[in-house]
Amino acid sequence: MIHIFDGAMGTMLQQAGLQPGQCPEQWNIDHAEVITGIHQQYIHHGATIIETNTFGANRIKLEHYGLSERVAELNHAAVKAARAAAGTTVQVAGSVGPTGKFIAPLGELSFDQAYEVFLEQITALDQAGVDMILIETIIDIQEMRAALLAAKAATQKPVICQLSFGSDGRTVTGTDPETAAIILEAMGADVIGVNCSLGPAQLLPIVEILAKSCHCPISVQPNAGMPELVHGETVFPMSPAEFGGWIPKLVAAGVSYIGGCCGTTPLHIQAIRTALPDCPPSERPAPVKALALTSRSKTVYISASLPTVMIGERINPTGRKQLAADIKAGQFLSVKKEAIEQVRSGAAVLDVNMGVPGVNQATAMQKAIEELSMLVDVPLAIDTSDAAALEAGLKAYPGRALINSVSAEPERLEQFLPLAKKYGAAILCLPISPAGVPKTAVERVAIIQQIVETAKLAGLKDTDFLLDALVMTVAADQEAADQTLSTLRLYRRHFGYPATMGLSNISYGLPNRQLMNSTFCAMSLASGLDAPILNPYDQAMQETLAAAAALLGHDPNGRHYSQNYAAQPVNQPAAIPSDDILALTRQAVVNGEKEGVTPLVRKALEQGYSPVELTEQTLTAAMNEVGTAFGAGRCFLPQVLLSAETMRAAFTTIKEILPSQDIQSNGTVVLATVKGDIHDLGKNIVSALLENNGFTVIDLGKDVSHSDIVAAAIQHNADIVGLCALMTTTMPQIDIVIEALKTAGHQAKTIVGGAVLTAEYAEQAGANAYARDGVAAVNLAKELMKQ
Amino acid sequence: MPVFNASLTTIDEKETRRYAGLMKAADFPQHLIQDACDEARMLVQPKGIWQLYDYNQEARRIEAPFPYLLTGAKIIAYLKEAKKTAVLAVTIGEALENSISEHFAKGNYTYALLLDAAGTTAVEMAADQLSKAVEQQANKMGFTTLARFSPGYGDWEITEQPQVLKLAAGQTVGIEVTDSCMLLPRKSVTAVIGFIPFRKSASCKEVRCTGCTQQNCLARKDEPI
Repeated sequence: MIHIFDGAMGTMLQQAGLQPGQCPEQWNIDHAEVITGIHQQYIHHGATIIETNTFGANRIKLEHYGLSERVAELNHAAVKAARAAAGTTVQVAGSVGPTGKFIAPLGELSFDQAYEVFLEQITALDQAGVDMILIETIIDIQEMRAALLAAKAATQKPVICQLSFGSDGRTVTGTDPETAAIILEAMGADVIGVNCSLGPAQLLPIVEILAKSCHCPISVQPNAGMPELVHGETVFPMSPAEFGGWIPKLVAAGVSYIGGCCGTTPLHIQAIRTALPDCPPSERPAPVKALALTSRSKTVYISASLPTVMIGERINPTGRKQLAADIKAGQFLSVKKEAIEQVRSGAAVLDVNMGVPGVNQATAMQKAIEELSMLVDVPLAIDTSDAAALEAGLKAYPGRALINSVSAEPERLEQFLPLAKKYGAAILCLPISPAGVPKTAVERVAIIQQIVETAKLAGLKDTDFLLDALVMTVAADQEAADQTLSTLRLYRRHFGYPATMGLSNISYGLPNRQLMNSTFCAMSLASGLDAPILNPYDQAMQETLAAAAALLGHDPNGRHYSQNYAAQPVNQPAAIPSDDILALTRQAVVNGEKEGVTPLVRKALEQGYSPVELTEQTLTAAMNEVGTAFGAGRCFLPQVLLSAETMRAAFTTIKEILPSQDIQSNGTVVLATVKGDIHDLGKNIVSALLENNGFTVIDLGKDVSHSDIVAAAIQHNADIVGLCALMTTTMPQIDIVIEALKTAGHQAKTIVGGAVLTAEYAEQAGANAYARDGVAAVNLAKELMKQ
Repeated sequence: MPVFNASLTTIDEKETRRYAGLMKAADFPQHLIQDACDEARMLVQPKGIWQLYDYNQEARRIEAPFPYLLTGAKIIAYLKEAKKTAVLAVTIGEALENSISEHFAKGNYTYALLLDAAGTTAVEMAADQLSKAVEQQANKMGFTTLARFSPGYGDWEITEQPQVLKLAAGQTVGIEVTDSCMLLPRKSVTAVIGFIPFRKSASCKEVRCTGCTQQNCLARKDEPI
């Protein structure tokens, strides 16, 4: 059966006389008969569900009109007005719109504040007698989660969750329809859908994805096309007939609740009713049978039929002093670093453990989850034995997390399973019971059976489980590996749920643990391991996983394996005789081989070349070559800087070996970014290049006054003063400094540069030269020194 | 209007190459770019905010509580069809700046430059996310949005920066402006976005390099996009 919602309320209210700036919800009290009349029109034209005039009737939105204390009253009045029209055959949905604020850390509203705001409104709607709750036009999945949780707390009635997507198929905050459907179904939404922002044509592909990503009924309420502005008014151009033309396609895509949003009228609703009898029944594709975990913007599936998923274990302070100290200090830089590097190494899920003694785990977990959810797009596993920390993490996470872990210990089952259900998380089932750690595979299966049964009684489903096979140390028990492998095989046969385990425990106490771990990993993958928890930086493990993917048929024809492991062509160095040490050194500087230059310099000095010979014939010559290539557009600034770093390393080596050797200076340059200007990267680059070309550089930094520059020029007897200004507002400082140098009677030459400066300006200001970039500055400095 | 802090789960490596002046460099090690983008992601703290105002085309005035009169032919031309303007301010914070300085002081010149380029990419991406939220709001009202236009573009003087920051209420998210009209933290952006009636957007979706006076800019694109 297809349910028909009504259409737009705002447009109808405007036609009835609502003025810009007036609160639409106030009309529930002041003009209740108008509201009832609008509902009656929609019912007359075919609506089977009408939506209360409460889209903005939450405390935050009502605050704009000074009505924030009248939430209950306005919602009650709205339901009364709707009920007056609905009679006994039409249902009333309590409309709940967004707060207009983003939830922290995306915005400034806390999750708890949002929850309370929604709870207040939904409680009022429920008490006033709506038949269902309709949360709509939400653009942030975290706001939807807060609203859905509030709805579940306030009422037993069905909850419809509708998000708004942009033309790129994602919400403003990056959530795609597949991810949204998985998160909301797991949290207990009764109907999942989409409304507003787009017309039926643009919403069709979104509906198709929603329908194949969950089992819930799907709803859609498109706008009447994309809005246009006509004579200063927003107009939605799609006619009822054209709107009706899209209905069969939307029904075929799987929707069972259809209505209209902005710009739709009773005639659009009539067009839906007219179109429905001719709609073929929908054949919705079955969602993927797998465990689905999500972040805000990405879904990862885990199943025997899919490629192995690597769960990164590195965000765990156990035995890691620095990480533990950072977490304790409330610093999450090293946590973030581990997250980025693990994802770069191929981790598709990240385990997050904040178990530092003496730290409030709930606070640390909330902070970690907030930081990581803004930083990486892979789903997270919340690894804790502390129920408060678990709830803090689950609440803060704008996705479907994995709980690591739920054992058969009564306290764990009692505390963790309701949280999993409430927040729609999946659980990692650990076969440990109050009796301890079971030794055999058969015992482990029995304990898992108990966990799964209890979890299902708590409302969890078959797609919520990831089973841990438990890994014991083979050095302590020769049966350990065999029992784990047997457990994996039994899990797959008995349950069919995906399996996981932390691998490295197997090799504890043994030498060459990498070999042992990767071998055991290969055996486990063949026995039914789907998502190993491991250190993603372990090269041997990476190689094993890549090979196993090809062997298990997850990498057709070993294509990825071949791409990664085919012999890479070796860059042939230029044909320089290996005994020509000066040529080799020069080439190293040109190529920017910072690490390679030191042994070459040592060797050259050992062969008897003097620092002066080395500098002039190799290092300076190399920098000249790089400078020429830069000028000709054959190499670019970062490459010049790589060469400069290499040259610096070469100088450092010369000084280390022959500390008494002075390398003669090519001249002294006082360098500064002028007063008022706080940019210094460009000036720093010039400084580095000048130093590497043999100049003595007195770098005064940024935001330097003309008097300080003149004083430094006098003090250091500068040959050249280099001035940098980046902005039109600071450029006049160039004139002031040059004038001040002249007034002081200083003879230093001036070179000026910076983003907005031009050769014309430099000339007008009386500078000796204008440098368009760092390399040019070096060449000009050399020229000026000859004069 | 709401505060919206962008989530940067990635920093565009191609754009980072462009800002580093490597557009035409064939053989620069990609892992250095990747390292810089990763470190930048770790350090950025995106914050943003925007406000929406009516725009009076005839008077060339943004109708804020403290009305703002536009100066500069290009910004006026840019807004010639606009009915409303969003004014936004975005920053990625100071932490990245500090790291750039530290790397430079240690002699890691290249990496500092790449990190700076990654930071520029990051603040632009954060502004893009904010622009998307603005765009959706515009669409709902029957408008389409123009590309961002910032003080310093074309002939819109950088001296307008304090006014624009005030229009955006950028101080709320910790952005300040110096006497010489520079934003602090340095990796910050203010901009206006014009709202024009839907389907009149054909011409001006991106502000192009060709309109910019900085001929020596490392990131300048040769041709129109």
